[in-house]
Amino acid sequence: MLTFSYYAPTSLNQACRLLSEAQGQARLLAGGTDLLIQMKRNLVKPQFLIDLKKIKRLKGIEYDPEKGLRIRALVTHSELLHNPWILGYYPILAQAAQTIGSVQIRNKGTVGGNLCHAVPSADLAPPLLVLNARAVVRGLKGKKFIPLEEFFCAPNQTILKDGEILQEIEVPRMPERSKAIYLKHGIRRAMEIAIVGVAVLMALKPDRRTCAEVRIALGAVAPTPIRVVEAENSLQGKIIAPEEIEKAASIAAAHAQPITDLRGSAEYRQEIVRVLTARAITHAARII
Amino acid sequence: MKHHNYSIIGHRQPAVDAASKATGQAQYTVDIQLPGMLWGKILRSKYPHARILNIDTSKAEKLAGIKAVITHKDTLGKKFGFVRNTADQYPLAVDKVRYIGDEIAAVAAVAEDVAEEALALIRVDYEVLPAVFDPLEAIDPEAPLIHDGQNNISARLAWEFGNVEEGFGESDFVRQDTFYTQPVNHCPLEPHACVASFEPPDHLTVWASTQGVFYLRNQLSRTLDMPISNIRVIRPQVGGAFGGKIELFPFNVCAAILSQKTGKPVKIVCTREEVFTATRCRHPMIIHLKTGVKKDGALVAVQARIILDGGAYNSTGPVATYLAGAFLCLPLKARNIKYEGFRVYTNKPVCGAQRGHAVPQIRFAIESQLDIIAETLGLDPIELHLKNAVQTGDVTLNKQVITSCGFSECLEKIKAQRSPALPEGKGIGFATCAFVSGATYHLFFTTEAFANAIIQANEDGTVSLITGVADIGQGSDTVLAMITAEELGIGVKDIKLITADTDLTPYDWGSGSSRVTYQAGNATKMAAAQVKKLLLEAVSHELDVYPEELVARDGRIFVRDRPEKGISFAEAVSLAQKSTGGEPIIGQGEFQPQEAKVNLQSGEGNTSPAYSFGAQLAQVEIDKELGKVKVTKMVVAHDCGLAINPMAIEGQIEGSIAMGHGQALYEELIQEKGQTLNADFINYRLPTARDVPEVETMLVESVDPGGPYGAKESGEGIIVSTIPAIANAISNATGGRIHSLPLTPEKLLKALEQKTK
Ligand SMILES: Cc1cc2nc3c(=O)[nH]c(=O)nc-3n(C[C@H](O)[C@H](O)[C@H](O)COP(=O)(O)OP(=O)(O)OC[C@H]3O[C@@H](n4cnc5c(N)ncnc54)[C@H](O)[C@@H]3O)c2cc1C
Repeated sequence: MLTFSYYAPTSLNQACRLLSEAQGQARLLAGGTDLLIQMKRNLVKPQFLIDLKKIKRLKGIEYDPEKGLRIRALVTHSELLHNPWILGYYPILAQAAQTIGSVQIRNKGTVGGNLCHAVPSADLAPPLLVLNARAVVRGLKGKKFIPLEEFFCAPNQTILKDGEILQEIEVPRMPERSKAIYLKHGIRRAMEIAIVGVAVLMALKPDRRTCAEVRIALGAVAPTPIRVVEAENSLQGKIIAPEEIEKAASIAAAHAQPITDLRGSAEYRQEIVRVLTARAITHAARII
Repeated sequence: MKHHNYSIIGHRQPAVDAASKATGQAQYTVDIQLPGMLWGKILRSKYPHARILNIDTSKAEKLAGIKAVITHKDTLGKKFGFVRNTADQYPLAVDKVRYIGDEIAAVAAVAEDVAEEALALIRVDYEVLPAVFDPLEAIDPEAPLIHDGQNNISARLAWEFGNVEEGFGESDFVRQDTFYTQPVNHCPLEPHACVASFEPPDHLTVWASTQGVFYLRNQLSRTLDMPISNIRVIRPQVGGAFGGKIELFPFNVCAAILSQKTGKPVKIVCTREEVFTATRCRHPMIIHLKTGVKKDGALVAVQARIILDGGAYNSTGPVATYLAGAFLCLPLKARNIKYEGFRVYTNKPVCGAQRGHAVPQIRFAIESQLDIIAETLGLDPIELHLKNAVQTGDVTLNKQVITSCGFSECLEKIKAQRSPALPEGKGIGFATCAFVSGATYHLFFTTEAFANAIIQANEDGTVSLITGVADIGQGSDTVLAMITAEELGIGVKDIKLITADTDLTPYDWGSGSSRVTYQAGNATKMAAAQVKKLLLEAVSHELDVYPEELVARDGRIFVRDRPEKGISFAEAVSLAQKSTGGEPIIGQGEFQPQEAKVNLQSGEGNTSPAYSFGAQLAQVEIDKELGKVKVTKMVVAHDCGLAINPMAIEGQIEGSIAMGHGQALYEELIQEKGQTLNADFINYRLPTARDVPEVETMLVESVDPGGPYGAKESGEGIIVSTIPAIANAISNATGGRIHSLPLTPEKLLKALEQKTK
């Protein structure tokens, strides 16, 4: 029988303390769209469930023109979709959130849960990676700042240690003359776990033809969401032209390490990475 | 299309149970709560093929909250099966398990999770046996035997009409292909469920999510060795079935035995995983198909050799094997036909009936091949079909009698809808179908009637329609209410439905083979006509006119030429009751098709009293780099006979297309060594509302002489043409041809790669 003790702390401090006292036997509960399914399937059997939803400090989105965006861990996908700052300055996040699950899942699922569940296909990970986001992690000893690239360790595994909670995500301002886009490959038009996800951020030089900076991240094709620096380097400083795009896309595909699973073969996924990376670069470079 | 003067029939009628379903009032089996009720759960095999050496239930029995644990020793060890003489499945495994999911033991407990916990405490010692998963390997004489017998062939049917070898010789062009189809689940939103309550000394009541209460009663009676009159089967509302709830399942028998043991009602609700793996799926097929045509497209010879992957038990196997052959050509005519169908046992989940029952698979093959032939010969595929189309009055080579046929009109309508030139990346595909309106034969070898109905008129002007029909969501209750209302000249709201309860309602075989409108519809119409006759007689005396001068319409019975002269329907009922000295005003009706004439061995015989026909166009948009297919629109022309409820028919067509679209493009049970890897709704993709294409429906109402008001079937036929229409559209858009379902992006990319090679 599924039995556990349920706690609903009202402060981050309390939550951290409960978490470390539980000595690895507790799970944090946000929207529950991942965790409750795992529990029902007996994949995880926590003795303690620590519900974060009563903690005000974990809610809301803030924006500062200088410092950028702050997305607290309990922000839901639906909130991303309707937030004016996100829609105005970081539309890629709304665009990615729109592809997640269904309306019900978007109303319940949170940004923190999406990142901390740490599946390779998490749809918010590639966009946040190309936005150079960093995680603000709260432990008993205080706060830590971790670049998102270092956050994911393995499938279902983050860098968070016992007693640590993801408090928020900080997203710097987008570079000048830049645009970012997320392309997700799936079969259905909703309720679809990414077969491949590709995010590209492109910043152009004042000539609006030369790549000043490009960032490329991939989902669902490696043990964690990844940045492909090699592909980025091949484009950096170049005039954006079809051959350059194709080259970068091929490098990205070569650096993907997909597996064959129910959703697609490794070979097919690699090909999709190439196609989507080229499309995303073209798109991001064009509409500025 | 209004070509008649009916007041109810042919008008759009929302389902009679729509409001109760939409507001959550409707009671499904899972909603049933009885005092002291226990939860039942089934222990299933972990191995695809194993001998059971020992089952130790002692630990489970000791668990707090457990009320009973049963194994095969608690059953009568009687085999059951859809077709009586091929029964091969035990309620609980006796000696062997034959697939992952096979039932071994069952428990009843005070709560669902206690029951689950008990399952984990049952210890089964297995001797694992070599298993076989590929039907081509299973058919090999050296393969491990799954059942007692000479080989793993569970059914074989073969026949030839004419001489195909000569036919191929006469042909100008002969094409040969092999096609493959995949296992798919019905995915009813309501999982399979039942509640069994045994009342001492010997009476059993079962509430079940089923397509036929009498059929289930029959099967329970045989498996439990109880007289049918001691068993009462009731159908609460059913949340979809699609052929998957037509049979008896081991869990039904287990619930009954557990209830008998404990003296308490026992409820068993399948998990979604169980629905996916341990109920039924559509037969995957390997179809070797050879077709010979003249230069002008005239079909000279069609030859098919089919291997049906049946899974571990027979289920509807013989019927499926017959239907695939019987519908090899219809709606087309060929001069020579040869068919050979093998249904093979494998150590996998069991395959049975599903919407279209074996016909979608064969039609995918033949319509794909005809498309290839038309393209090769530079013919228009619609013209090719027109050239070979069956017509009213035809009798096919296998003796199917076509009593009404609007097929050519369907083709003409579809032709007019076809847009000429399409831009790059877009395509259009075409395919056709024919299907039964119920069966004319007793393949199930039961002795019961086909369809009965009783109608009683009440003095408040309403009538009670009493029928054994089990509406499973398709809207048959609504159609039967409409027929009753039309015949008696009252409103649909005046019909009180008493249905699907073996103790209260007369016999009906159930919702299967698209039979209800035609067969139960005829029975209902006849019962209503009898009531009307009694009423008109009484009114004719009162008004001093001949009964023939009277009309029943709009809640009144009046003189045709003097409408003001008449009385209300309610008054007529009172009048009739008085005039007969208080006898009830009751009519009864039945439908019984001609005697069994289908010969499975020769393949000859009229499968159904009437056939529906259809043609459809699929429009697709293709992303050639990703291999992604978007079906943008489906256009359907359907000859369903007279459309009694056009709204319900549109619903059935849209439902067929939603289902066919998923099965064409992505639905597939992925099995590895007998284990289903995607038994959930995230990894088994069912189309969402956002994926289903726009549907345009055109009805071609050939009025069938035998159907009630001329009606035929509309529930299944259309899925048959949906799948090949999409396949042909993909080929039209890309030039790539995929021979296996589903038509996934990965397969499309491979097909395109091959094309450029
Ligand atoms: C039907 C369905 C469809 C889905 N579709 C998609 C999809 O398309 N794309 C996609 O990316 N995901 C999808 N998901 C997965 C899921 O909904 C998302 O990942 C969601 O964002 C998870 O958030 P949550 O708040 O529900 O997480 P929870 O289930 O509450 O938590 C997930 C994990 O993260 C941990 N956690 C949560 N918050 C914190 C925190 N602040 N600090 C540390 N650890 C924390 C929990 O302990 C748990 O281990 C789908 C899920 C379902 C059920």
